[in-house]
Amino acid sequence: MIELEHIIKNFNADRKDTTIHAVNDVSLKINDGDIFGIIGFSGAGKSTLVRCINLLERPDSGSVKIDGVEMMKLKPKELYKARTKIGMIFQQFNLMPSRTVFQNVAYPLRNMTKEQIQARVRELLALVEISDKENAYPSELSGGQKQRVAIARALANDPTILLCDEATSALDPQTTASILQLLKDLNRKLGITIVVITHEMEVVKNICLKAAVMDAGRIIETGDVFEIFSDPKHPVTRNFVRTTSNLSKIETLIRDDSPMVKLKPGEILARLVYVYADVSEPLISYASRAFDIEINIILADVEIVAGSMVGGTVVIFNGEREKIDRAIQYYRDKNIRVEVIRDAGA
Amino acid sequence: MQELNVLLPNLMRRLPEFWKACGDTLLMEVWAGGIVFIFGLIFGIILTVTKPGGIMESRPIYQLLDKIINLFRSIPFIILLTALMPLSRLIMGTAIYVRGVIVPLVFGATPFFARQVESALAQTDKGLVEAALSMGSSPFEVIFRVYLRESIAPLTRAITITIISLLGLTAMAGAVGAGGLGDFAIRYGHDRNMIDITWVTVIVLVLGVSLVQWLGEYLARKNTH
Repeated sequence: MIELEHIIKNFNADRKDTTIHAVNDVSLKINDGDIFGIIGFSGAGKSTLVRCINLLERPDSGSVKIDGVEMMKLKPKELYKARTKIGMIFQQFNLMPSRTVFQNVAYPLRNMTKEQIQARVRELLALVEISDKENAYPSELSGGQKQRVAIARALANDPTILLCDEATSALDPQTTASILQLLKDLNRKLGITIVVITHEMEVVKNICLKAAVMDAGRIIETGDVFEIFSDPKHPVTRNFVRTTSNLSKIETLIRDDSPMVKLKPGEILARLVYVYADVSEPLISYASRAFDIEINIILADVEIVAGSMVGGTVVIFNGEREKIDRAIQYYRDKNIRVEVIRDAGA
Repeated sequence: MQELNVLLPNLMRRLPEFWKACGDTLLMEVWAGGIVFIFGLIFGIILTVTKPGGIMESRPIYQLLDKIINLFRSIPFIILLTALMPLSRLIMGTAIYVRGVIVPLVFGATPFFARQVESALAQTDKGLVEAALSMGSSPFEVIFRVYLRESIAPLTRAITITIISLLGLTAMAGAVGAGGLGDFAIRYGHDRNMIDITWVTVIVLVLGVSLVQWLGEYLARKNTH
């Protein structure tokens, strides 16, 4: 279990009178075996926060406990030892360019005979499915291969925690998916706790069950990934969700005054957002029939997040005003959030 | 042989002295170079790890070393040679001959090499240091297993440049009676206008520098992946 309490970390900018509050009073608990996401725009303080876990950055104040041990109070030697149990991978992979894949993975192995090291390295390379590159140098590998080697190296000493600092941000979408799948497999096979730092919503949606949203050094929202993304409470989170959702295109259409969103008198343009997990009924066609109105779908975007459906549609209601109102009420009763974007008036 | 006698009359008459001059120059390179390597490497490493943001950040140590290096680098070598004579007598027992100039050579070249080492190590990706620390490496491990190991190529280049500039210093050291090729060329080539001696000395030095340069480049390339 990782327990962060009231972590504060400030940096002095070049001009000494300005202080940057990189992490500003953050408390966080991450359970064993979780895949926990920390998401935020760049500069939000995520990378600093994750470095406070293995004390690559020492917090100015606060408490960092791992499995009940207060990291801030460890002597240097104890800290080095503790760090061998916290693996870390990076956006730029950080493989040693003058060492082969084998030598890179062997780097953190200590107090072992040559044979033991060889056996362990091969085992790790097999685990991340890159055994054939044992004697290659990092410069001969693709980004995805480099990250696999970095993962093998991070796992060398059987860590209980793996910190991933924007680990997929330098990779193309397909490679990202394969690395995320690997992380998921490792989490299942080894029971390792994974902390994922990212600015990509896709990553969190894909592998995390729990997440925290960070902005300006603070955690502004935390909880189940499904809850965060289906019903974001904080404006920054909403912004995040919107940037990845198709539904945000409606704003562009309105701004460009597209003919698609030109309303006739009596019409209402609205966004329907599914907030709760079971959207199994044919809501559009049912309402259309039951209330005798036309519902024209402009945009739709439904996704699977943490195993549940999230998303919604942007529609134009056309019909008698009273019937439209009843339809909207029906949706609200079904726990669907209805935001009226434009109303052409009755 | 006959042709050489005609072509290089002055040199051929002083061959034993010429070989001794070559030997003295080599001796100065090896002794001074060896000591410069050790001290320069240590100071270069200290600069790297104590500078702001370094793994053993220490403002006082960095500032002190930085200033001392700048001080010695700003003194022209010919002045350093005479200024350090008392120290040389104290340490080596003499201020002349090869023994007498080792101290000024070390003082002249160490700051230069330390800066070269500093800039070679500065090329190490910060991410590698961070990765090593995250794997539980101590700062000393980071120095040996990351900084030095990952900088073999730039360090080789730094050594090459330092050996060559040290050669220039040994020629100047001849001025205070250290002997060596520089002294040989000035005493005969310049003072007595024996032009063949100047030319041969130049050729020997050019060949020596080229050899060092080639070897350094070869080793650096071999260690680049």
